[in-house]
Amino acid sequence: MVSTSSYLALSGILFALGMIGVLTRRTAIMVFLSVELMLNAANLALVAFARSWGDPTGQTAVFIVMTLAAAEVAIGLAIIVAIFRKRETTNVDDLAALKG
Amino acid sequence: MTLAFILLGALAIVGGIITIAARNAVHASLGLVGTLLCVAGLFATLNASFLAATQVIVYAGAVMVLFLFVIMLLNANQPVTGHDPVPFVRELAGIGGTLLAAAFVVLAFTYKDPRPLAESAAALRGGDAMIMGETLLTRFLLPFEAVSILLLVAIVGSVALVQRPEAQPDGVPDELDTPVGTVPGDRGQDEQPRFGPRVGGQPALQAARDGEVSA
Repeated sequence: MVSTSSYLALSGILFALGMIGVLTRRTAIMVFLSVELMLNAANLALVAFARSWGDPTGQTAVFIVMTLAAAEVAIGLAIIVAIFRKRETTNVDDLAALKG
Repeated sequence: MTLAFILLGALAIVGGIITIAARNAVHASLGLVGTLLCVAGLFATLNASFLAATQVIVYAGAVMVLFLFVIMLLNANQPVTGHDPVPFVRELAGIGGTLLAAAFVVLAFTYKDPRPLAESAAALRGGDAMIMGETLLTRFLLPFEAVSILLLVAIVGSVALVQRPEAQPDGVPDELDTPVGTVPGDRGQDEQPRFGPRVGGQPALQAARDGEVSA
């Protein structure tokens, strides 16, 4: 049985990869993809803790996080589409100003 | 079990690197699909079979289809090029990310299981839908109901967000742009409203559109 520490280390590496993606990518959609990567790293850690404690609470939390992520993607992509219609770009540097 | 962990973990990291490094957005999202499938496999090795199935269906299926749809709808698969407003952002993010990953790995190996792993894994009963449902509908009933409301709000909100505005931003309805004296029904195909109904049209044009609908 693989130790919980190994899963946590893998989760940390995936989280750091997602963070690098959020910081370096400049298309809003790519930033979103990296956020999904970070959410999945956190989910992996939660499931590893659930097995470590023998408690399904962690798995339930992952279920709720998945639902939240689905809602976030639906709203976020709708916002990106709305902004793209107005500004013709999804580059986050061009969208830094909140001025309509 | 160990072999499965090493294989799936390595593939997940490779998929993550593709996600953050691919120039083409479609390649990046396909890399993320690979990572999500590997994470689903890792869930299965962690006695969470229901979550593994949900991960494949919801994440790798529905969410990623939505992502690919938007990438292709906005034609955003080409990388953004041009001036970089923050100098050395790639180098700084790379160093910072490496340090963060190292800190996580060091911290992870200080973790001690509170009780023997085989014993706690048996308590999860494989993480099937039954044990998940028991927890969701007893201890987590309020979050469960809140999530259902959240999903409803997300559906309504996304529909409202992508709706075309009823009038142009300058407040002048489109129909006023039509030259006076145009014969109703004589409009070319390209002059018809492209997206949804507009308000404030002239009565004759409104009647003509109703006629078009019924015709």
